[in-house]
Amino acid sequence: MSSSTVELIFADGTLLLTGVPTEQLRDWFPQVLWAIDSRVGAMRCDAIEYPHIADGLRQRRIAFNDSLDQPREVRWKAELTCELRPEQTDAVDAWMNGGQRGCVVMPTGTGKTEVALRIMQLTNVATLVVAPVRDLMYQWHRRILKSLNYDAGIIGDSVFRVSPVSVTTYDSACIHMPKLGDQFGLIIFDECHHLPGQIRRDAARMCAARARLGLTATPERADGRHADLKQLIGPTVYELAISEVRGKSLADYDIVRIPVHLSDNEQRRYDLLAEEVSTYMYGQRQENALFSWEDLCSSSGASTEARRAMKAFYAKKAIEDRAEEKLRTLEDLFRLHARERCIVFAGSNAMARDVSLRFLIPCLLSHCGKKERLDILEGFAAGDYLAIVANQVLDEGVDVPAAKVAIVIGGMSSSRQARQRLGRILRRSGDRRAILYEVVCAGTNDEKRSRMRRKHDSFRGTRRKPGR
Amino acid sequence: MLTREHAIAEYDFKRRLILPDRLNVRDHAQYPALAERMLDVYRQGIGRRRRDLHRDIHRVFEDETECPLRRIDAFCKLLDDQAVYATAARRNAATLRRQVFRVAAQFHPLVIQKDSLFEKSATDVQKLIAGQLGRDWQEICDELFADVVEFHRLDSFEGYPSARPLLSRYNVAQIQASLFSAISMTVKATSDFKRILRAARLARLMHTITTPSPGMYQIELTGPASVLRETRRYGVNMARFLPVLICCTDWSMQAVLETRTSKWKMGLTLSSSDGLQSHLPSDAEFDSSVEADFYEKWGEEERGGWRLIREGEILHAGQKTFVPDFVLQHASGRRVLMEIVGFWTPEYIQHRMETLRVFRDVPILLAIQESSAEKFADAASHTSIVRYKTVLLVKQVMEVLSTQLNSDR
Repeated sequence: MSSSTVELIFADGTLLLTGVPTEQLRDWFPQVLWAIDSRVGAMRCDAIEYPHIADGLRQRRIAFNDSLDQPREVRWKAELTCELRPEQTDAVDAWMNGGQRGCVVMPTGTGKTEVALRIMQLTNVATLVVAPVRDLMYQWHRRILKSLNYDAGIIGDSVFRVSPVSVTTYDSACIHMPKLGDQFGLIIFDECHHLPGQIRRDAARMCAARARLGLTATPERADGRHADLKQLIGPTVYELAISEVRGKSLADYDIVRIPVHLSDNEQRRYDLLAEEVSTYMYGQRQENALFSWEDLCSSSGASTEARRAMKAFYAKKAIEDRAEEKLRTLEDLFRLHARERCIVFAGSNAMARDVSLRFLIPCLLSHCGKKERLDILEGFAAGDYLAIVANQVLDEGVDVPAAKVAIVIGGMSSSRQARQRLGRILRRSGDRRAILYEVVCAGTNDEKRSRMRRKHDSFRGTRRKPGR
Repeated sequence: MLTREHAIAEYDFKRRLILPDRLNVRDHAQYPALAERMLDVYRQGIGRRRRDLHRDIHRVFEDETECPLRRIDAFCKLLDDQAVYATAARRNAATLRRQVFRVAAQFHPLVIQKDSLFEKSATDVQKLIAGQLGRDWQEICDELFADVVEFHRLDSFEGYPSARPLLSRYNVAQIQASLFSAISMTVKATSDFKRILRAARLARLMHTITTPSPGMYQIELTGPASVLRETRRYGVNMARFLPVLICCTDWSMQAVLETRTSKWKMGLTLSSSDGLQSHLPSDAEFDSSVEADFYEKWGEEERGGWRLIREGEILHAGQKTFVPDFVLQHASGRRVLMEIVGFWTPEYIQHRMETLRVFRDVPILLAIQESSAEKFADAASHTSIVRYKTVLLVKQVMEVLSTQLNSDR
């Protein structure tokens, strides 16, 4: 074996190494997870180990045949012209000096994208940008085109156009990395708290890129897996807390909670459905004290009663979500802010369409194509549309500049979602305070979820009534 | 295929097995009738919206006392898989929205009660837009969101020929959905090797082949990164492979699953005697008519002590495999491999030559069509060659076999 040539191959998101005895490899690279792959007669490890292994072999003066596609150099056609703020420059420097590996943690609205664009400009190497959803993927495409005059490739949304600089989504990256993993020198994970999912992390593990940048406002995950970001991307090299920028880079803001009541008709239906659900649950708990909703939803041999209870539960939620009073309150708020740009966040696609139909304002939903999204976002930026409604599409990082009023009329209880919605309206423009309204049904789960949301410290100081 | 959200399975913790939902004649006698009614909803539903079709499918199950919602949703998905939804209205919806919203934006916010500040009510603006577009407002409303998935209208329904195939498809689809969490799959088979290995390759799986007993092969299927860690990454590939396996004869399969909720490993077992029906054609195909003719002419009986077995052996080296068309098995225990090479493209012959070179240690009898024969001259060292014109004769093969047998003695 020792007489044969040493060969390093990129194979389906992993590396195959031949020509070095197993024991030798384990000795040289003790922290690398090696597997003897008898299926192909070689040693195999994750592609993420590539820089480590290639450098290690070179240091030991082992001649080896490196058959990985080396990432191409990129010549940018334009310089990044915008001035970076001091904290952005600090972030760039911290990453460049940190071995070009690591995460930058900055609140939404403080310009993470500019940090990434500057880093791309400085590294001059084939780059893949991974974004959580296709809207954000397209947004990166636009930003790269505008700032660096580069028409990036698109991998995702049924498009597969690979260029030395490309944008993609986490799901597509995970699927295609076995084919693309050796083509990029820099990989950027936007909203990188999405990366540590059990399968999704393959997007980092199956990639051989030397330079890695993670961007997020909210690195922590409920499952604790954010600890793995260090291994998948690198350590946190820069962190800016929201309290440092409140009122400086970010606008100052108020949060106003407006309770609404169900109509008599809705309340009657709501009570009937609630009764049906609790009767069923009570019956089940007579037999099994620990019976929970999760049990009902996952139980495979559901009876007619179980199915009815489940339908009642969803109908109940729909009443909260789509209460008529919410539309009336929305009209009041629109009247109050008639000349200002407002974003409405709905709890479901159906409610978003209700709002869209009632006020004839554009709604950003998953069925919107690339062109329509652009028209809506640009129309909103230009002031052609004063109000738009969205479901969860806008939850993260999509730029909706200049909006100072956000109205949340439904949604999940996680504080991450709440903060991201907040971030939307907090981009600094002038000295105007931003305002976030929460319209919730009194005496329902809707209210409970709102209380959960406000646990996070950015919501401290919430008032209950519009205080104008 | 279904998605994870449709998967229904029971856990047998004692035996550590996952039992995907399966409809059978004994416990689900009413299902053929239900399936017919479901098919009718779609057959008679041309022009209707997806959401309404789904609502009617749910209605079919209204009186079923034991039926989880997921099963009904799974049927909707399987019916949709065979349906085509219209696209014309979808394409116009975005344009229509832009027209409507651009006009309405000038009057934002649209109020119910107009007053001195807001002089146009929602109804006024609706009338205005309807007038500008020269259409009825209700009609505009109906088309405004025609591109939303649940509002797509059914254009045609290829369907399933009858209730049975729909129910069979459901049973297989539920196993596939469980396999999404598979980390490895092991197939034991005594025939149909070509088909199994080809399907595994198409599903981008890697194999490890062993022989637990004579005539039986054990094929372990995993993905490239599976040697590094247990990963569900390739579960979807295994699910894709399954329908082909179900078409084959005489096999058994065991998959190891990692469930989401618990870190427990569970098994999923299946065999050709489970009576599953694949939607793929099940008759074993021959590569060429020469091969089929020869097999038929030879028949079941022994000839001079030799029996002819189809695809009886797998030659394998790393990820390269070669399943010769036949194995000739002598009563004395001696085995001769045989491959029929017809008239094919140069690429095919090139490929065959390479395969033979990889397995040059294995003696093999090649039956070659005359016009291709000289191209195999340099591969001939470890082979015996029979040439044929259009039909391969049993007599020719027998002659070679007897001389071989004699020379070995």
